[in-house]
Amino acid sequence: MSRWEYIARRLLMAVVVLISVSIITFLIARVVPSDPAAAWVGPRPTQEQIAQAARQLGLDRPLYEQYLRYMRDILTGNFGVSIRTHQPILRDLRVFLPATLELVLAGMLMAVLIGIPLGVLSGAGKGSLLDHLTRLVSIAGVSMPTFWLGLLLQLFFFSRLGLLPLSGRLSTEISLTSPVVPITGMYTLDALVAGNWVAFKDALWHLILPAFTLATYPIGLTIRMTRSTMIEVLQEKYILAARAAGIPERTVLFVLALKNAITPTLTVLGLSFVYSLTGAILVEVIFAWPGLGSYVTDAVLSVDFPVIVSVTLVVTVFYVFINLFLDLAQAAIDPRVTLQ
Amino acid sequence: MTEPLLSVEDLYIRFKTYAGTVHAVNGMSFHIHPGEIFGLVGESGCGKSVTGLAVLGMVPYPGEVIAGRILFHGENLLQKNRREMEQIRGGRIAMIFQDPSASLNPVFTVGSQISRIIRHHRRVDRHEARALALAGFEAVGLPDPARIFRAYPHELSGGMQQRVMIAMALASGAELLIADEPTTALDVTIQAQILALLNDLRAAQGVSILLITHDLGVVAETCDRVGVAYAGSIVETGPTAQVLYQMKHPYTRGLLEALPRPSHRGKALQSIPGSVPSGLDLPSGCPFWPRCPEVMDICREQKPLPTRLDEVGHRVACHLYSREGQR
Ligand SMILES: Nc1ncnc2c1ncn2[C@@H]1O[C@H](COP(=O)(O)OP(=O)(O)OP(=O)(O)O)[C@@H](O)[C@H]1O
Ligand SMILES: [Mg+2]
Repeated sequence: MSRWEYIARRLLMAVVVLISVSIITFLIARVVPSDPAAAWVGPRPTQEQIAQAARQLGLDRPLYEQYLRYMRDILTGNFGVSIRTHQPILRDLRVFLPATLELVLAGMLMAVLIGIPLGVLSGAGKGSLLDHLTRLVSIAGVSMPTFWLGLLLQLFFFSRLGLLPLSGRLSTEISLTSPVVPITGMYTLDALVAGNWVAFKDALWHLILPAFTLATYPIGLTIRMTRSTMIEVLQEKYILAARAAGIPERTVLFVLALKNAITPTLTVLGLSFVYSLTGAILVEVIFAWPGLGSYVTDAVLSVDFPVIVSVTLVVTVFYVFINLFLDLAQAAIDPRVTLQ
Repeated sequence: MTEPLLSVEDLYIRFKTYAGTVHAVNGMSFHIHPGEIFGLVGESGCGKSVTGLAVLGMVPYPGEVIAGRILFHGENLLQKNRREMEQIRGGRIAMIFQDPSASLNPVFTVGSQISRIIRHHRRVDRHEARALALAGFEAVGLPDPARIFRAYPHELSGGMQQRVMIAMALASGAELLIADEPTTALDVTIQAQILALLNDLRAAQGVSILLITHDLGVVAETCDRVGVAYAGSIVETGPTAQVLYQMKHPYTRGLLEALPRPSHRGKALQSIPGSVPSGLDLPSGCPFWPRCPEVMDICREQKPLPTRLDEVGHRVACHLYSREGQR
């Protein structure tokens, strides 16, 4: 099967997955015993107000009709209106999704830049001092409670050293004096594209602590995963042969061995990425980062089902594409992998 | 007599393991002349591979060279630093291994692997490296070099893979090729072709070869001189004809009698009684005495030194021929 044929088939599968997920979420959201119409109207509503709201929201219609109408709207770019805030969901997503993406991408980048080299080196020096140190680091990273680590980092880098800002995405002065014109909604990227250096630096400084807090877990996973596959790969004859051919150790480890060892690490990173899209809520709360996690948590607590369904669909889209990307990457890395 | 290209002198290698100290190589000595094929032969575990790796400064952890010299062009390789060894490895001394399919990195094309080696050792750009690689493929008799260059290892047959390994080993102009059981994993016809190729390369490029094998048939076919190793040292060495047809050491005789031969058809195969001593506790004296049919008292006490038997360099380390043993 050619690569394009494979991609086309996978995309078709993706549509099926998305439809199934939307049906399931939709049903769950509607079955939860609660009254969205009452929530829509506000505190102490009258019966007429509730009935009117239900009609307005289409809640008096049969379930399948509600679903079809909802899907039609989504396909035309209308994600509906939040029951809790009465805001169009699309407008909310345009704010929260890029904020989360910026945070999570920065966290994943840290996991790659810190976790992979440490994993490679500790795999190469199994039992060395570095190996023992990275074991401690990864255990700490995986087991330390996020909120506690976040608070510690704030205490140290903001209160004690005054190096980094406490929370938020941009300082108030900067947003007044050199505002970021939204393009992608990721401030660092937008400021960079616009050449707005002042804002870029400010946004980056705001990003460091929350991204690092988020990254500690994937860093730990990445170190351990890379280490164990490296240990296996370094036993291989072709590594011995490469060394016998005089290839410098740095190249042997970071090119010849790593390319053989990277696939499981990529999978771990991909799954962490998707998980963090809504799983970063603690980081978002501690650092006042307006992201998808807090958004969907609020929606869940108030049974705001249009928001729940929309966010679930967005996350599912990411999940499907990341998996497709991982499969393609694996095939690109290892020619023995066949796409089917 | 010309100066040897490589001479291994009184080499000792041990492994410190949890089970105890393994004496893998115990006073190994041999030399190889330019353009010569020298066979290092012996049973499994007698220290052949470890010796080959030691020449490249690659004794695996937890092994270490504890005594001896390895002279290449008269310079002791054991005193070179890491940088210098990275130049010598693959550049002047190359090594190929038993299983060619496992020796090639599965996720890189053959071309990228050979180019990387060439470019590490010679200052050439990508195109020149490719040209050198294609010429190397041609020299080892690979058809359609351009296709091989683009191929991934799993797309080639075992024989082609071993030819690729040889091309890689020689592409940077190595003077010495260490071939550790290069044909053991291949089937018999391919095996003969690879041995013929090694012979041709020696003739065409003047490369010297240290051929490590446990197969006396391979030695008879290809080697100019041979060293028979037992428990980490050479017990008998000399020109192939002398060692194989006028063998003196009881161990060499035992090895030859263990070979299946047409003239012995119908008779049971002889094998040497007893088993190879583990490097963990070597017997005192001659390491072979517990299995030797002609053991004498002195053998249990004193390790025999090599005795020169004739003018062509046939030597044997056995008290049957030593001065001490004659007394
Ligand atoms: N990593 C290691 N740890 C401990 N001992 C080792 C190690 N590598 C080799 N040895 C010991 O060194 C001795 C020689 O091993 P070597 O691999 O050189 O044998 P060989 O002659 O090449 O045998 P074979 O024909 O099986 O390849 C063996 O007895 C083995 O126990
Ligand atoms: Mg061996």
